[in-house]
Amino acid sequence: MKTNVKILIAGVGGQGIVYLTNLIAEAAVISGIPVCVSEIHGLSQRGGTVTAGIGLGEFNTGFTGKANVDFLIGLEPLETQRCTNFIHRQSVVIFGNNKILPHSVNAGQVQYPDTNSFTDYLNGQCKKVVYVDEFPAGINTIHHNVFFVGIASGINEFPLSVQSIEEAISRTVPEIQIRQTLNAFRMGYEYLINPQTV
Amino acid sequence: MLKETIDILTSYPISQKRCIMGNIAIARGAIEAGVNGVFSYPGTPSTEISEVFNYVDSFLSNPDYRQIYPVQANTKIYFEYSINEKIALEKAIAYSIGNRSSMCVMKNVGMNVASDALMSITYQTISAPLVIVVCDDPGCHSSSNEQDSRYWGAMANVPLLNPSNPNEAKEFTVLAFRLSGKLKLPVIIRTTTRVSHSRGIVNFGVINADDRIAGFERIPEHINIPARTAAAHSRLLEKLNDPEISAMQRESCKIISGNENTRYGIITSGVASEYVCEVLHDNKINEQVYVLNIGLVNPFPEKVVADFLKNNLQKILIVEELEPITENAIRVIAQKECINTEILGKGFSGLTVAGEFNIDLIKQTLFEFLDLQIGKVQKQPLENVKEFTELLPPRPPVLCAGCPHRSTFYLLKLVIPREESELILCGDIGCFGLGALPPLKMIDTINHMGMSISMAQGLSEALTRYENSKIIDVDQDNNQHCNSPKPLKTVALVGDGTFFHSGLASLVNAVYTRANILVVIFDNRTIAMTGRQSHPGASQNLPKYNQIEIAPLLRGLGIEVVEEFDPFNLRDGFAKLNKAMQHRGISVVIAKAPCVFLPEFIDLHPVKKKIIVEESLCNTCANHDDEAIVCSRCYSSRSNLSRARAKLFAEVSIPGELQLCPANICNHGFFNSILEGDYKSAVEIVRDKMLFSKTCGDICHRSCELMKIETDEKWNEEISYISTGNVPIKALKKFVSSFDNNYLDFSAPISRAKNAEKKNKKIAVIGAGPSGLSAAYDLVQNGYEVEIFEKQNKPGGMVAFGIPWFRMDKSGFEYEAMQLEKMGVQFHFNSVLGTDYSLTELSESFDAIILAIGMWHSKKLDLIEMSVPESKRSDALTFLKKFNSGISEITAEITFVVIGGGNSALDTARAARILNPKNRVIITCIEKENDMPAFAEEISNAKAEGIEIIPDSYVSNCSCEDRINIVLNSFSNKEFLCELKCDFILTAIGQSSDSDALIEINRNKFDSSGRILSHENNPIAKNIFIAGDIHSGNSMSVIGAIASGKKAAVDVRKLLENYGFNYEGEKALKELNNLKGKLLDYTPVLNSGNIEGLELKTIRDEVERFNLYQSCMKCNHCIDNFGCPAMIKVNGKVRIDDDRCTLCGLCIDVCPNDAIHWVSDPVLVNQSVPL
Repeated sequence: MKTNVKILIAGVGGQGIVYLTNLIAEAAVISGIPVCVSEIHGLSQRGGTVTAGIGLGEFNTGFTGKANVDFLIGLEPLETQRCTNFIHRQSVVIFGNNKILPHSVNAGQVQYPDTNSFTDYLNGQCKKVVYVDEFPAGINTIHHNVFFVGIASGINEFPLSVQSIEEAISRTVPEIQIRQTLNAFRMGYEYLINPQTV
Repeated sequence: MLKETIDILTSYPISQKRCIMGNIAIARGAIEAGVNGVFSYPGTPSTEISEVFNYVDSFLSNPDYRQIYPVQANTKIYFEYSINEKIALEKAIAYSIGNRSSMCVMKNVGMNVASDALMSITYQTISAPLVIVVCDDPGCHSSSNEQDSRYWGAMANVPLLNPSNPNEAKEFTVLAFRLSGKLKLPVIIRTTTRVSHSRGIVNFGVINADDRIAGFERIPEHINIPARTAAAHSRLLEKLNDPEISAMQRESCKIISGNENTRYGIITSGVASEYVCEVLHDNKINEQVYVLNIGLVNPFPEKVVADFLKNNLQKILIVEELEPITENAIRVIAQKECINTEILGKGFSGLTVAGEFNIDLIKQTLFEFLDLQIGKVQKQPLENVKEFTELLPPRPPVLCAGCPHRSTFYLLKLVIPREESELILCGDIGCFGLGALPPLKMIDTINHMGMSISMAQGLSEALTRYENSKIIDVDQDNNQHCNSPKPLKTVALVGDGTFFHSGLASLVNAVYTRANILVVIFDNRTIAMTGRQSHPGASQNLPKYNQIEIAPLLRGLGIEVVEEFDPFNLRDGFAKLNKAMQHRGISVVIAKAPCVFLPEFIDLHPVKKKIIVEESLCNTCANHDDEAIVCSRCYSSRSNLSRARAKLFAEVSIPGELQLCPANICNHGFFNSILEGDYKSAVEIVRDKMLFSKTCGDICHRSCELMKIETDEKWNEEISYISTGNVPIKALKKFVSSFDNNYLDFSAPISRAKNAEKKNKKIAVIGAGPSGLSAAYDLVQNGYEVEIFEKQNKPGGMVAFGIPWFRMDKSGFEYEAMQLEKMGVQFHFNSVLGTDYSLTELSESFDAIILAIGMWHSKKLDLIEMSVPESKRSDALTFLKKFNSGISEITAEITFVVIGGGNSALDTARAARILNPKNRVIITCIEKENDMPAFAEEISNAKAEGIEIIPDSYVSNCSCEDRINIVLNSFSNKEFLCELKCDFILTAIGQSSDSDALIEINRNKFDSSGRILSHENNPIAKNIFIAGDIHSGNSMSVIGAIASGKKAAVDVRKLLENYGFNYEGEKALKELNNLKGKLLDYTPVLNSGNIEGLELKTIRDEVERFNLYQSCMKCNHCIDNFGCPAMIKVNGKVRIDDDRCTLCGLCIDVCPNDAIHWVSDPVLVNQSVPL
């Protein structure tokens, strides 16, 4: 297991990005891995572009430089593409087909970039690309965030264990939502390990 | 947040490590230092600190918690959200003077508000420790500037600590309390976004209970009067020489990398130190550089820095975000100490004053400083990254789905059409500031907290004075500056939190100075942007706060117009906003509805339902299926706004399918162009389908206006509609044709004809009446070569020769008809079918023929023919033809009897009267008066002109000697009615076709009136089509003739180019033909009577009574003017994104097509709440 890993989470305000960083930080504390996180609160939460960085291991900041992110978890495809600068040849990129159209696209001023050509582009260059074209039935949109972490937890290079994340979920989620959240996480984990079951 | 709060409290008393946010760490530090009172105004990036204490507060008042955590319950920390930062700091100072330790929390710009309190208290004294936390925002992630609050330390002569990570933030907070208590001086903790909002490992220490006893010490220092202040200044400076300061300087300024034997030194402060360390560490050069981090920025640690500078370093780099504060201090020390080492800082490599630093910038800077080459790195970037990251659509923040602010902005758009008014909208700080961005764009200025109301006052004063009294006149009397009668008024937009923060004082000033402004308070019941904090107007049911209602407060100030409305009730909101707009003086409107994140929002909106968009009604053309058919309706978001306004406020709502035009003119587009004031488009929309906007404005049978509609049920709980009738399309056609600039310009159809793709097919049209001309118009625009053969010497047929000049503007018709020549149609006048050419000849030399020769033979009454000599009788058409040509021989004063009850009879009668006004004219017709086929207005005009009408009568006997004797019997009971003497008889009992001209057509194809029978779409011979009055089944009307000509053109296209669509006006044409004699059954609906000569303004008011709606391709209204993020556009249709929809239901009222509605969805009930 690799110790020093930088994770970047990209998405749209309201998708649960702050929660996700919180969850990963908690899992790191549980695993005894040093962790630092950099996030932005406030106006950008209102449906705008949001990114948050996490450093697991010997880092001073969760903030990250170009071509320096080992795991890019994209909660929305356009926002994933916006972060292409930050990934490198050994990066793992996890994202899915859950577009949120910005106003300029709805208004017909610009086109939403073609996700397929972006996926092809990544596939040729990154170490691993997981693109969820169709989310398994039973995954609510609000659980896309934990679903993606579930996928990440099934990848060898990801430094956090399934157990530590599950423990972190039960610590960070209100009691009545724990079961559903754990379920979404599990489905993410299974997605790569055993794709035919989901 | 609650969890983190409990965590920082329950971690007592064991020391342990936690991963928490910088802001939470500060809160923990304050708790460890035994803080007693926290005062704050929320502001990102500082808010989480206050939120901890907000929760501590509720935590301590909860008896369950008190039982579980008795020790923590004893801490009794007081917390409040004060109304602004000044009040917060003043209360924190007072709390400290009452000998209870306190903390005051704010964002960078908050300190500007609080600075008055800070600058004076330093000259006086506090008792218990007072720590001020100020959070800066390099990069302006959520602030209106990136001011550097470290200056406050030197400015106010107070100690200032600048932590660089969450753990340091906690440690420094504890130190700050200690130092403040010792010096009896406030101490500032200054953080930046990347410290406040970073999570990192923090070592929790022991919580120290504060054992101070509250009390007030009556000492002279509490009284600040000039006589004492000079001495106080020296006393303040003396405090900064305290040995505790030197200890603190050593404790907070540390070597964080390398050792003194290296060649390079770096001095850094704040979060930049973390980037420096990470870059050094990442590139394994941390041993090569000697790095000092400055924690206490004021008083500047001169001794520590001097010692550092005295190492034998080759050069020194100073890395700090924002202003060169430590850099300047270091340069002064170097100068004092005569140190010649090269010092680099702002301006070197990537080190800027403006903006936020990042790892890449620091890496580049350090490599340049250390003369290192960035070699082959382990982590290779991807190729062609630019191609995939450039030109991506940006994603600015937007108001949430369901946000009441969006609705208020939408209402403002409806009330204040921006293109038409000279209004200025002054915005303020808060979520609703997003209204400045597309698609709302309803804010012209945003400054600092609370400025909006002052801005509106000042601008209003400036503009009014600058323009002298001119603008004031514009409000009331003339409307030359804008089309709408809106007065010039400056508008202030302010949020509820900001209103109490600093808007209220400005409003008092506005009342005091008699300002003429409208203030709109966006009251979403919370301070939303920072995470829904309470404020005086919305105490959120917390027992410790007292709620202040805004409306009575403002009425108490003497403001006359104070209106409150629910932004989700668009009708009410519009009425109140409009009223407030019209008021001269100060008016306030409070748009009150909860933020979507408040529980009250959920309570307001239905569950078990969802909202859908009916695809067939969204962005489809209800007028024609063939998308190639030209549509001149201009797309503009403004035009759709006027449709939306009509939807909400028209008295009469009419679905487009109830006002169909037989000529397939898009009445919806026509009407809505007028609604938005675009009269040129209205004319063009008529011309998309036919030539005759003016002619139809005069003599159309307006079958489109016939149907009556019911009261609109949807809204009847609020507004009862007056069901007065339909949109007066005919009158509006006349109106829009009355602007010569628009009317005379036929360039659009001419260029369509010239640029049409040539079909290389020749069409002969026989007859230049409305029907033949209309067929030619459509065909020539579709690339056909068209030749028209006309018996007379000019075009027009029945319109030119049969309708008298007093019914219509003949010159208009001729002008319209002759445009065809410019479009490339060839005319052959004086060319008679059956004499000059035959159908057989034409059908061989042309690809198709359209026969539209009309009905020019009058029917005759045998009784009259036999008993009256030819010199004393005439048929109506011959009489009118002579009348129209001005060659009528009859001039002496005589008596006419006209037989017939149709428009021709009425026209003839009126013409006879005009020949000599002393003529007596009597009409006899078999119909009862209400059943007469003539237009009601024709009948009433005739009566007004003195024409006598004897309905329900027929000529039972007739003889002629010197004069003509007529016996009239009743038609219904055949009994004798009266006997008349007259000098001339005119028969107007109908027409038949010219059988001589149609000799080539088999007689069995004619009906009893001499009209030709034809099955739909079928030519009567291989390539001969018929159109107009000659076609059996067509009613005799100009619009029917036009429609019939257009239909024939479609039939020709079907034959010659396999055109795949039926005639799109078919349905309305059939209805028209079914109506036959019933066309009189309507009353004109225009209130203002004759539309001619009306002011434009009145027309606008008049048409705004109506809403003629149907789905339209040129609609993007909800996206362009409303912009709810739950509305997305996929394949040209709007869809509701259920994941984002908050079920506010507003889009249903917004959609001008009525395409959006509720459906039941029980599945939604089970969905869980978002995290």
